[in-house]
Amino acid sequence: MNSNQAVEIIREDNINHSFCGLASVGWLYQKIKDSFFLILGTHTCAHFIQNALGMMIFARPRFGVALMEESDLSKESPQLKPLIEEIKSDHHPSVIFLMSSCTPEVMKVDFEALCRTLSTPELPVLPVPASGLDFSFSQSEDSVLQALLPFSAVADDSEKKVVFLGSVNDTIADDFMAEAEKIGIPVAGFLPSNHFNDLPAIGKNTVVAPLQPYLSKVALKISRQRGANILKTLFPIGPDGTRRFWEDLAKEFDIQIDLSEREQMAWERIKTHTDRLSGKRVMLTADTLMELPLARFLKHAGADVVECSSSYINKKFHAPELEQLQGVKIVEKPNFSRQVQDLADNQPDLVITSLMSANPLAGRGHVVKWSMEFVLMPILGWSGVGSLAEMLTRPLNRKQHLHPLTDPVWKKGIMPSMDQNI
Amino acid sequence: MRLAYWIYEGTAHHGIGRIANSLRDVQAVFHAPLGDDYINVVHTMLERTPDFPRSTTSVLTGRDLAQGNNRLPETLRQVEARFKPELIVVSASCSTTLLQEDLQTVIGNTGLKTDTMLFEQNPFRVQENEAAENFFTHLVKRFARKQEKTPKPSINFIGPASLGFHVRSDVIAMRRMMAALGVEINVIAPYGASMGDLKRLPAAWLNVAPYRELGLETAAYLENDFGMPSLQSIPVGVQSTLSWLEQLIDMLNTEAEKLGSNEKVIMPELTEFSLDGQSAPSGVPWFTHSADMESFSMKKAFVFGDATRTVALVKFLHDELGMQISGAGTYLEKHADWVRSQLQGYLPDELIVTESFQKIAECIEDQMPDIVCGTQMERHSCRKLDVPCLVTSAPTHIENHLLGYYPLIGFDGADVIADRVYTTAKLGLEKHLIDFFGDAGLEYKEKQGEQANGTGSSAETHAKGNQENASSDESGGMVWTPDGEEMLKKVPFFVRNKVKRNTEKYALEKGYTEITAEVLRETKEALGA
Repeated sequence: MNSNQAVEIIREDNINHSFCGLASVGWLYQKIKDSFFLILGTHTCAHFIQNALGMMIFARPRFGVALMEESDLSKESPQLKPLIEEIKSDHHPSVIFLMSSCTPEVMKVDFEALCRTLSTPELPVLPVPASGLDFSFSQSEDSVLQALLPFSAVADDSEKKVVFLGSVNDTIADDFMAEAEKIGIPVAGFLPSNHFNDLPAIGKNTVVAPLQPYLSKVALKISRQRGANILKTLFPIGPDGTRRFWEDLAKEFDIQIDLSEREQMAWERIKTHTDRLSGKRVMLTADTLMELPLARFLKHAGADVVECSSSYINKKFHAPELEQLQGVKIVEKPNFSRQVQDLADNQPDLVITSLMSANPLAGRGHVVKWSMEFVLMPILGWSGVGSLAEMLTRPLNRKQHLHPLTDPVWKKGIMPSMDQNI
Repeated sequence: MRLAYWIYEGTAHHGIGRIANSLRDVQAVFHAPLGDDYINVVHTMLERTPDFPRSTTSVLTGRDLAQGNNRLPETLRQVEARFKPELIVVSASCSTTLLQEDLQTVIGNTGLKTDTMLFEQNPFRVQENEAAENFFTHLVKRFARKQEKTPKPSINFIGPASLGFHVRSDVIAMRRMMAALGVEINVIAPYGASMGDLKRLPAAWLNVAPYRELGLETAAYLENDFGMPSLQSIPVGVQSTLSWLEQLIDMLNTEAEKLGSNEKVIMPELTEFSLDGQSAPSGVPWFTHSADMESFSMKKAFVFGDATRTVALVKFLHDELGMQISGAGTYLEKHADWVRSQLQGYLPDELIVTESFQKIAECIEDQMPDIVCGTQMERHSCRKLDVPCLVTSAPTHIENHLLGYYPLIGFDGADVIADRVYTTAKLGLEKHLIDFFGDAGLEYKEKQGEQANGTGSSAETHAKGNQENASSDESGGMVWTPDGEEMLKKVPFFVRNKVKRNTEKYALEKGYTEITAEVLRETKEALGA
């Protein structure tokens, strides 16, 4: 903990560009296959969900918006019963997550009480705080997992098993299961599981291994409510993080393993990428909460992380990652105007940034990478190392390959509001 | 309260953002929670903007609400310092309007040097188009000043805005037509206009406002307060464009008389409107008379979209391409009466007015038309129904922000639409063949059939056989264990074969004789996923 105190976190005003917590519906509805995500919100929520994530509604999307119209504003409580019936007959879900949004939060809708009246033993309706007033981008996955927790059985005290925390796709899940088996770690399952009725049991002897950096609150809740042990280690991202993750997890099961050689081999395999990243100055502008482990991997890969900003940093939950970031400028809730100025002054080699800012920064000559991709691509564990490294070097290589955009004429007429002389 | 899976029209603050992002030297500041910033993403992603959109969200958090903080003054100061705009527009979003704050006083107390205005809309009542129209008109009222008329005949093109449907191309088409006519374009607004441009709007002789969704209110204001006539018909299709040009010339010449000017506009040779200056201005008239197009008399079209494009497309498909209209509708209830009046006599049934995409999908399924002109949502619905569809109306998608020149208006627009209808619908002769021989025209199925029936040439069959043998030789008699196979199935189908080949190659190198899930995993790791 002493070394942790040395890491200074600068706090700014969060006038920044990112998405609200509803964004996580985009992957969670696909992960939990018998679920329905109902957003109690406005036209804005619906327009956001269909535009920002570029999600063309599929044949029968398992998410929708209970659209609050003007007449609903004066009602005592939102009339959701008919909508629940509609969802039930169209989708037959095992669980409905009722996501909060800004307008009902401002109206002080009591989501807990509302869900109690809507829930039946056959079809629970679970409240999920997700509004942009309090949650950004990936953070509402934390709320969804908290809502699921009561439905996970209490594990027998005699059972010592690991529960992996965080939604991952089936391929990654298989990899983690197999790796654990190889080491000799018994696995209880994943929270969330693919199906609502298939949640892993969690008890006093469970070791909870967080896979994603945006799940601090559910981790705390699990340790408080179930007395489970939350693994304190690096996230399994990159050779460095993956080695520490498995070694520390094994230790919890009194298994001593040395993965140094495996780590070495993994670094060896991505050598062309790390050679490319070596000495490159990288800035992360804050978006998805994946920033800390990404910065740590970049640092260990030889890059010079000039700024790592994140919209939320939990000093306890993120402590192992923060320890690795000694000497890196870390900012929580950054101010985007300040960042744009710093980018202009410092001209880093690579900027990892939000969907909103990527093209405008590219227009200013920066090499950019969408931060959102690190949430949606399989970068976890040993098998994710290659994708992770390649994702970071691709924009650098592409920029080098393309003709330079030095003449401003190539940007003319694209944006009506743009100054003629930019 | 209703359950919405997808909506056609955007929000009021998206409408305000579209206007702010069309104009030069304006900055919109939204007093709103973090998520409302998504409207900027729509601009940067769909239009691939090489600069920042002209709006900033002054992020309001739950903690600010609890503590009574308002960051708006600080955000306004930051925006003023960073962008140095001529005008700052402050607006609340759906959740923050409920707070009933006195933002006017907050702005007043901030002490900015920049002209700063509050623009409030009820987001529970007003949506994208109405908010955009109201905001744009508000700005024109604020800035337009009485001007000397331009010495030469001139127009303002009112209505094109950022994220509008193919408006960038429409602006080019308008410029080309006016150049051929010898008419000056005084101002195009809001698309690319500065505050100075808004000021000199009244210098034009008349306003051209072809879009029902944006520009009519502004044109009405300019008519009332500055006596500027406006031309509001829609020049989509060759015949509509011709009559639109005639109206425009008449109106300009009437103005010339009023102004005591002897600058007469005359219709030039029609070839002047073509790309090379010596051809027909559009290929549509001859194209529709060609023998190939006769089958289009039997083809039924269904049209759905905003007001302007629904009316324009129904008329064009019916009047100029000679197609049958099986039905039409709009999602803009506000404009439904106008659409209905415009399409009197064109529709076999009532105009459909709905915001429910499911209802439109049902209509299409009932009618099974030969072609659908709709929004991205209808394209999606049609894909499931295997009905040919082309996208002709907002809301736009990244595929509607293309690099090439694809206008809807003018002679050029007529060619673009006709080409797209032609290439989207199943064609004359080809369709006969498909109807007659079933799937005979579809290459993929033919190949499969060929293999199954063994009707291919013997040489080909032989070669294929060899290839198959070779590939199993290559895998070295590698056996996949059930758990290996199980894991392979989880690999997305479009890369599955590649993964299979790579794993077999890797296993061979490593001297494995069978492929278990473990080997597959090892391969993935070794080859970097």
